[in-house]
Amino acid sequence: MTPGEFRLRVAYRKTGRLRHLSHLEVVHALERMVRRARLPFAITQGFSPHLKAAFGPALPVGTAGEREYFDVWLTKYTAATEVLRVLVASAPAHLVPFEARYVADSVPSLTAALTIGSYEVEIDGKGLDASSVQAALKAVLTTGEFSIVHKGKTKFFDLARSVPKDARVTDRDGGVVVELTVRMGPQGSLRPEALIRHSLEAASITASAVRTTRLETLVEGDEGVWSRPV
Amino acid sequence: MTGASLWARVEPLLSRIERPARYLNSEWGSVHTQEAEYRAVFLYPDTYEIGQANQALGILYQQANAIDGVAAERAYLPWIDLIALMREEDVPLFSLESCLPVSQFDLFGITVPYELSYTSILEALDLAGIPLRAVNRSEEDPLVVGGGPCVYNPEPFAAFFDAILIGEGEEALGDIIAAHRQAKDESLDRASVLERLSQIPGVYVPSLYHESVNGDGLTSVLTPIGSTPAVVTKRVVASLSAYAAPTCPVVPFMDVVHDRYAVEVLRGCTRGCRFCQAGMVYRPVRERSADEIVGDVLDGLACTGYDEASLTSLSTADHSQIEEILRRLTRRLAGTGISVSLPSLRVDAFSVELARLVSAGKKSGLTFAPEAGTQRLRDVINKNVTEKDLIDTVRFAFEAGWRRLKLYFMIGLPTETDEDIRAIGQVVERVLVAAREVTPPAQRGAIRVGVSVSTFVPKVQTPFQWEPQITLEEVRRRQSVLRESMPRKGVDLHWHDADVSFLEGVMARGGREVADVVETAWRGGARFEAWTEQFRLSTWLAAFESCGVDPTLIANRDRDIEEPLPWDHLSAGVSRRYLQRERERAFSESTTPDCSFSGCTGCDVCGDLDVDIVLTGGERR
Repeated sequence: MTPGEFRLRVAYRKTGRLRHLSHLEVVHALERMVRRARLPFAITQGFSPHLKAAFGPALPVGTAGEREYFDVWLTKYTAATEVLRVLVASAPAHLVPFEARYVADSVPSLTAALTIGSYEVEIDGKGLDASSVQAALKAVLTTGEFSIVHKGKTKFFDLARSVPKDARVTDRDGGVVVELTVRMGPQGSLRPEALIRHSLEAASITASAVRTTRLETLVEGDEGVWSRPV
Repeated sequence: MTGASLWARVEPLLSRIERPARYLNSEWGSVHTQEAEYRAVFLYPDTYEIGQANQALGILYQQANAIDGVAAERAYLPWIDLIALMREEDVPLFSLESCLPVSQFDLFGITVPYELSYTSILEALDLAGIPLRAVNRSEEDPLVVGGGPCVYNPEPFAAFFDAILIGEGEEALGDIIAAHRQAKDESLDRASVLERLSQIPGVYVPSLYHESVNGDGLTSVLTPIGSTPAVVTKRVVASLSAYAAPTCPVVPFMDVVHDRYAVEVLRGCTRGCRFCQAGMVYRPVRERSADEIVGDVLDGLACTGYDEASLTSLSTADHSQIEEILRRLTRRLAGTGISVSLPSLRVDAFSVELARLVSAGKKSGLTFAPEAGTQRLRDVINKNVTEKDLIDTVRFAFEAGWRRLKLYFMIGLPTETDEDIRAIGQVVERVLVAAREVTPPAQRGAIRVGVSVSTFVPKVQTPFQWEPQITLEEVRRRQSVLRESMPRKGVDLHWHDADVSFLEGVMARGGREVADVVETAWRGGARFEAWTEQFRLSTWLAAFESCGVDPTLIANRDRDIEEPLPWDHLSAGVSRRYLQRERERAFSESTTPDCSFSGCTGCDVCGDLDVDIVLTGGERR
């Protein structure tokens, strides 16, 4: 640990219309929030000194997050409840922190630790029902493989590894909700929305809207136990 | 006002377009007022990332929202991808804050930032469902009021506006809103509202002026109808200190141009460069005090969370207290990771010292504007910079550790010869030699000089307002002369597109006849013309042709000094007598000093507008 620095882990939500922000836009907004809160934040050393902070895995444009994280290093210990209070007062609507705890510097970084993402995908469409969506999804999952073309490159996903838990499909408010957990990592993270859109298309199901929310990001511990990073 | 938010119809479109962050609002610092008796919306006629940081709109947004019973919102022109979807889905132009149709507001304020923004203004009006021409608007339509840098020659766009504010908005905006509210209370009809507005100093109501046309079909002069003032004189505030700077402006989510906290340190510039419209129309010089500036920077940074503050003006290094301001700021901001930037530098060692003071070790790049290659031509344009100043400054900067430099020049200035153009290449060569001499051999490879060359466009209310702009063919020829004379190694040469400069020239001095051309070009698909890939001169040439307007008569014609001009009914306070005298001095290669450093040079602004130069440090150095 850098002597005299305190690493604070903050959980926040990205919701409402701000689901349309990109990861970089969220990062800038959070950094500005920390500065507005006048926290005693640490500054990186080097050519271009800036606020010392680290962020969890990126959320794509259009995807909301119910429990996202960032770390910020402070030079003075301030009670976490007090830090949270000033952060909330400095937060734009729909990008609001709700939990803050100090973590040891030995704890792995958020991007390295958070390898499991649990999502909720809401699908709207005429005559949609859970069982047909379930069947459509299952048909793709049983093939064991999924590929997606992104920016001219084809990415392959081994579905047995990428989808480590059975999807849950339920009817809700005239639409269908899919709860899907995926594995994230440096080799690429499967986007639940892409998998679901592909499944619906393959089964000739028309969706009028698809909204994705990441409910949690989790650490995969020894023996496959999943836990929160705080 | 009635009406429901369009958000439920806009949001589904956002997953189908680029950069949805342009349309989200709810940024930190945005003002949301549910109930208001009077609603104003201010549009920047380009995308969010181009317009968001506009300081004038930031000031007006704050001012209007501070008026009791008034709510002010922002609007930008959506990018073409969203416009296409909006037209498909029948969604009109909306405000950001409440996402209401712009057509439902009482006041639709539009800034006119650039000569090539006129077609984008039409795109905005059309998307809003508001008749393009003021004359076709009904009682239900908002009052469409323009303002901003281009208003000193408003005729090419005047027909699209109900009223145009000439000059500064701090006081005038409140007057316009008050008059409009009063007129609404009295249930006056649209024509009577406009008549009332025309009585407010600085407000130009185009429909109350009659156009005389000369034999070429061009506007010769505009004369008032009825009791309308014969000349509308610009509004100006006597002291910037009377108005609190916005210290809690909107903080955007997306990357925008000028994405930093900006404080206006002074307004006006009296260096007197004869080509420069800003230098003529924003007079006199009025500084804000060091205490105000330092206080605002600290407050603004605290409120916004920005990590950079910019001290903006036409000539920040001229502020009489600039050194004190920078020393105080660097002391207060030490260890915070926050930097201060200076947008404009003079060609002198003092400016480099200032840049060093705020650079905190980072030497990203310096920019200077010698504008012309020979001393003779610099004297013609009154750019009081010698080549020795430039070389000494370059030497000083490279000794201090800078390795990158950007230089601005112009071609096509009055009296320019090929010798003047070739001299630009020679100056750049000598700059490179000076830079290499003082740079350690191992670092010489890092030396880069960017040379940016624009084409001179004569602007109204300047001593060169009568001069012909060089023709398109001549621009291309002179650009090739320049290219041949420019050193290759270590130089990045850029120039302004010749077609764009030509059209800017037509818009800069065109009369009322050009409005038809603007509308025809827009109908032909012209919009977003500040975006290189969207600009097509062919669309415009077709429009000139079909409207029977010869653009070369506007841009490339040598005007007689006695000729009536289509902008004579507007005054920026600088007298015609002064402009003529400066023109004569230009042709006799005599320079004129800066009145904020030495005595009055007789431009008549202070007397005409009953204002004075404000130097907070007593005198300038």
